Amino acid sequence: MKILSRFWWILPIIFIAIYPFTLGGNSPYKSGVLIFVGIYIILAVSLDLLIGYCGQISIGHAAFFAVGAYTSGILTAKYGVHPMFAMLIGMLISTALAWATGRPVLALKEYYLAMATLAFNEIVITLIIGLEGFTGGASGLGDIPPFKIFGFSLVNHIHYYYFVWIIVFFIIAGSLAVVKSSFGRTLIAIHSDEPAARHFGIDSPRYKTRLFMLSSAFASIAGSLYAHYMGFIAPDDFGVISSVNIMVMLYLGGIGTIYGPILGATFMKILPEITYQFQDYELLINGIILIIVLVFMPKGIYGIILKAINRVLRKV
Amino acid sequence: MNDVSHIIQFLFSGITTGSIYALIAVSLVIVYKASQLICFAQGEFFVFGALSMITLTSKGLPMPIAFFAAVFISVCIGSLIQQVLIKPIQGSSVGNLIVMTIAISLALRGLALIIWGRESYILNPYTKGEPLFVFGASLQIQVLWIVGITILVLLIIWYFFEKTSLGIAMRACAENPLGASLMGISVQKSALFAWAWGAGIGALAGAVVAPLLFIQYTSGVMPMIKGFIAMSIGGLGSIAGSVMAGFLLGLVESYTIGLISSKFSDTIVFALLMLVLIFRPNGLFSKS
Repeated sequence: MKILSRFWWILPIIFIAIYPFTLGGNSPYKSGVLIFVGIYIILAVSLDLLIGYCGQISIGHAAFFAVGAYTSGILTAKYGVHPMFAMLIGMLISTALAWATGRPVLALKEYYLAMATLAFNEIVITLIIGLEGFTGGASGLGDIPPFKIFGFSLVNHIHYYYFVWIIVFFIIAGSLAVVKSSFGRTLIAIHSDEPAARHFGIDSPRYKTRLFMLSSAFASIAGSLYAHYMGFIAPDDFGVISSVNIMVMLYLGGIGTIYGPILGATFMKILPEITYQFQDYELLINGIILIIVLVFMPKGIYGIILKAINRVLRKV
Repeated sequence: MNDVSHIIQFLFSGITTGSIYALIAVSLVIVYKASQLICFAQGEFFVFGALSMITLTSKGLPMPIAFFAAVFISVCIGSLIQQVLIKPIQGSSVGNLIVMTIAISLALRGLALIIWGRESYILNPYTKGEPLFVFGASLQIQVLWIVGITILVLLIIWYFFEKTSLGIAMRACAENPLGASLMGISVQKSALFAWAWGAGIGALAGAVVAPLLFIQYTSGVMPMIKGFIAMSIGGLGSIAGSVMAGFLLGLVESYTIGLISSKFSDTIVFALLMLVLIFRPNGLFSKS
């Protein structure tokens, strides 16, 4: 039992590692489902750093997802840039944008912050739609080549699956390390009482902006991974509705826990795979399931699981 | 058409969309003040108002009855949601409440999809008649209905919150729930009324604009986001501010589409919102 509670995380890693050959049955569709899960885990975890740990509500996370996807898409499809460099340039642009907007926007609180980030998301999307010559406009951008690494093209879905999940694990581990570092503790202090934190000499605008840059860089990576997997991107995938969906994943899973958003993202991406058979009823059923989870699990899925584990441990 | 008629034409379309934004912003503000939450399901009331009015008139109901029935349906849905879903989780965090309204909006959108399918619908104008011409700019009769009904509704809201004891009680709850409850005002009832008002006004906005716009089950998103903007520019909690911001937004949008660029009109509008939020976080019309 002690070993299990210390090394439980090996189990999901084993599952992810053997999935394509067991449950996934070598089918591109089934590994695709988990590729999406991985990409959304990156988005959810990076947003959790911002909302869950630092208390900065953002309804604009998909904007950085879009910046990553479009930078990768445009540079690789139109200018033949190496995907690796394109991804790095996307991260640079995202962090630069976050740095430029961070100070004024993050000075806002709660709803005002939510509205400002929502506006930022819409600005990015309307620019993408408006600059057709460059981005393909509303009809989307196609012909994005598959990812390449060290001259090895990841055309095969299983290769890309492992590539995505390796990055996912690095980002989860990185986020956990950030949260446990002194930087993370500073963020939590800002979350619980910003004026008090400032009295202790914490330059909170600076910390918030840095966190915003980090979280945007992660979202940008997710965007690049998405663009190379899909081969085609359209502005609809990155609108306010997507940002809202990522936020739902956080609260559904349990905010401020890193593990919660992972569960939330998995749940939200697997759910449509199960309910799509209800066709027109899908949307209603998804809504009702969400409502039920929110009413009966105020601490999210992670909270319930934690509670169950504790109960089992006490009995043992 | 000469330049003057263009300018007047943009004025008309700005006032038309402005009326809709003002109504939605007001409905958001009323719910916000009572429950301290921004309701992401407001766009769905807009859709329900429009689509149920279209269905009722196609079943042969006269326009006025269909109009009030459509609004009434949404009032019932709104009250039911407040009682069954919002009340039990009232104490939880702001984020939880927002996500709850998102879940509700998904469920309502799903319901609309089942009832009305994926087609777009449009209503016949309230009254038949050729458009009027003012200085060469055409003015549809429906626009007069929209503006007239909006002004009437805003007057009713003003009267309700300023002159009736129920309205004043609701304002007291918004200002200070604890103090109001010590004065014997039921905060729960006030929240219920606010949701009923909010849902009703949202549906009304949909019902008046139904003859001008094709509406389907997903049409609620953009009006709702514009309502958010108007609400934020107006200072989040101010009914008068959000009405002014709604009309202003409509006009800015119409003139940027007409005179600058139709492609980047939304970019400009959202950039304005960010500037207002950053430089005047208490709203464009606040004194401080």
